[in-house]
Amino acid sequence: MNLFEKIFNHQIISRLEDSGTFMVTSHERAWLKTMLEHPAAADAFTADTFDKLRSILEPDQVMDTSRHLIEKARSQEKQVYHPLLRPLRRHIMNKRGIRITYEIKGGRVNTGHSGFPYKLEYSMVKREWYLLWYHTRHHAFMSTRLKKIHSVAAEPIEPSAAESILKKIGKTLESRKSEALIEIVRIYNAELSRILYAFSSFEKNVEYDTENDTYRVRVSLLGDEMEYLLSKIRFLGKRVRVVEGDYLKRRMVEASSKALERYGVFPAD
Amino acid sequence: MNEEVSFERGIILAKESFDKEIQFLRMLVLTSGAFSRQQFAERLGISVHTFDKTIRRLKEVVTSMHQHLPQEQSREFSETIRFSYYDSTDPLLLFLFRAKSVKESESQRISLLLGAMNKQTRSAMELLNMCCNSLSPGLPLPDEKTIRSDLKYLEEVGVIVKEQGPRPYRYRIQDDLVRNLSDEELIDLYDFVDVMANTQVPSVQGYLLRDGLKKHLLRNQARQHAVESFLYKYHYYSRILDEAHLFTLLHAIRHRRNVRFLYFSPKSEKSYASKNTNPLFERETEGKVHKTLPLKIVYDHQYGRWYLLSHGREGIRKYRMEGITQIEEDEAVDEVWYEEKKTKLAEKIRYSWLIDTGRPVTVRARFYNPEGSEPNFIKERVLLQGQWGQIVFENEDSFIYEITVNGTTEIKPWLRSFGSSCEVLEPIQFRREMIAEWKEIQSYYESV
Repeated sequence: MNLFEKIFNHQIISRLEDSGTFMVTSHERAWLKTMLEHPAAADAFTADTFDKLRSILEPDQVMDTSRHLIEKARSQEKQVYHPLLRPLRRHIMNKRGIRITYEIKGGRVNTGHSGFPYKLEYSMVKREWYLLWYHTRHHAFMSTRLKKIHSVAAEPIEPSAAESILKKIGKTLESRKSEALIEIVRIYNAELSRILYAFSSFEKNVEYDTENDTYRVRVSLLGDEMEYLLSKIRFLGKRVRVVEGDYLKRRMVEASSKALERYGVFPAD
Repeated sequence: MNEEVSFERGIILAKESFDKEIQFLRMLVLTSGAFSRQQFAERLGISVHTFDKTIRRLKEVVTSMHQHLPQEQSREFSETIRFSYYDSTDPLLLFLFRAKSVKESESQRISLLLGAMNKQTRSAMELLNMCCNSLSPGLPLPDEKTIRSDLKYLEEVGVIVKEQGPRPYRYRIQDDLVRNLSDEELIDLYDFVDVMANTQVPSVQGYLLRDGLKKHLLRNQARQHAVESFLYKYHYYSRILDEAHLFTLLHAIRHRRNVRFLYFSPKSEKSYASKNTNPLFERETEGKVHKTLPLKIVYDHQYGRWYLLSHGREGIRKYRMEGITQIEEDEAVDEVWYEEKKTKLAEKIRYSWLIDTGRPVTVRARFYNPEGSEPNFIKERVLLQGQWGQIVFENEDSFIYEITVNGTTEIKPWLRSFGSSCEVLEPIQFRREMIAEWKEIQSYYESV
């Protein structure tokens, strides 16, 4: 299997698009057939569709990748699909409102709250699905784990209201982003590649100071992503240093002094 | 031959290698914005001229695939492909796999042929006539042989099928996947492909399929909004670049074949203090030719990186996929002997947190539960990410996690990422190292 087949060439693809032709190779079908063997497939389709797909792909091969490939440091795969994905994605697609009953921290249940769903988000770290929705009465952006949703049903919403919420979401999220500047401690420049890989899942810019041969990573993120960034910074340990971002700095001071206390090392006074 | 000539040839020759493009894109993604043209070119070991040419070429592919992207010439290429979480869920780096060069006449012809076989069957002669009538003036007209070899190729890659029946054979596009599914079912299929491509490896074929299905849905009245319901948080974007080598190596493993490649070690201990060497991409002259027998591929979720584990003269060898270039297959080896090596490797990496094959040690660490009535996210994370480690003791405020692991180097960052919620107990040497590191980290913030 060669991933650089000429059939995938960009000019061919855009011409096919112009002529409205759907093209699929045996590579892609083999991949799909392999993925259909994953337990998640059962939640992704109705039984009918699932059987149909299996019979369409009957003549195709299965990839044997898993025999020669191992995945390390992978989070346990708790959930790839969730039964609520199918109905929720349809509410999102049709720009419908929802009436939702869900569990919050401490086990309390909020019953029958009105909202507008806009995305389904999968956390690669927690291996779980979240519904991102707008809480109509509280004017708040919510992120609710699908497994904490007790029930959800469609609720009519004025198309103009839906549009204005969507517009608001884009604007608000952008304005809520903040920045942090992280410096790679110069003696660890030899590990640059690894360090940058660790930051590659963030929206970021890298700055290089030629004179001092120093790299700095400017990360742009939302408030609720701070915890994850902090865990990455602690993960990298002495290789990186927060140079801008008071909250992150304070948390690093706290983490290091508290960790040392755990080890019985106290500041000499 | 100097580097530049070999690079240019790489693009023209039939056996196209995308090593430079892959390195180029990886560097662009990882170091976005850090370097000037000159610095960038220097670090890749190419001339500024080649750098500009590569940019132009890649930009052409990107803009033909993503017409919604900003077109201004002034816009930096790195800006164009810059990852922006809420803007698009399309994996932009996928365009690399669209970069295979095809002559203008061929790309026109192939798309004409496929268009003609869409919704109806055609014979080779009908297709030849159609081509001769429809190709742009100025392009060479194909002969029957060309059409037949096109059909053979398209059949091989599974895009068309030959219908049952007597000669002359008739061909049609192989689109059962979309033809036999209802609109509702297509949405389910698109979602499934989207989810699996984003959460599983390998993913490139899935992303290619997703792309095709997405266009198909949009053509059939679906709105843009309908194909962008999902987001995936904290993806390693450059991981799909390394999949370019994956199938070559899998092929070698399947056929027990040695491979040869020019390897650039991403580690550069030797040039530690050297200012001119960028550890990411040394110059070509610093690469070394390796011959080795691939045994296993490892995907590391911690960094989103790929490794090749193989058997070489010195026993087990480990390579980072990103350092492998100009890969070629070599002779096959004996089956029994190969299986023996594979079994040995499997034993050696049984306790590797990632790929360390050093001596197994038992690590014990105490984790402190979060204060208050919150859900115990510390324990949740340990259970989720702690691989084969076990919780061996538990009380109200803490629990002890124990794991046998090859060396402590690879597990260390993970334990440290818990901050003050984790205290390493054993081995004692490891505990001391942890203390020393926290002291150093603390010293970084003394002025705060």
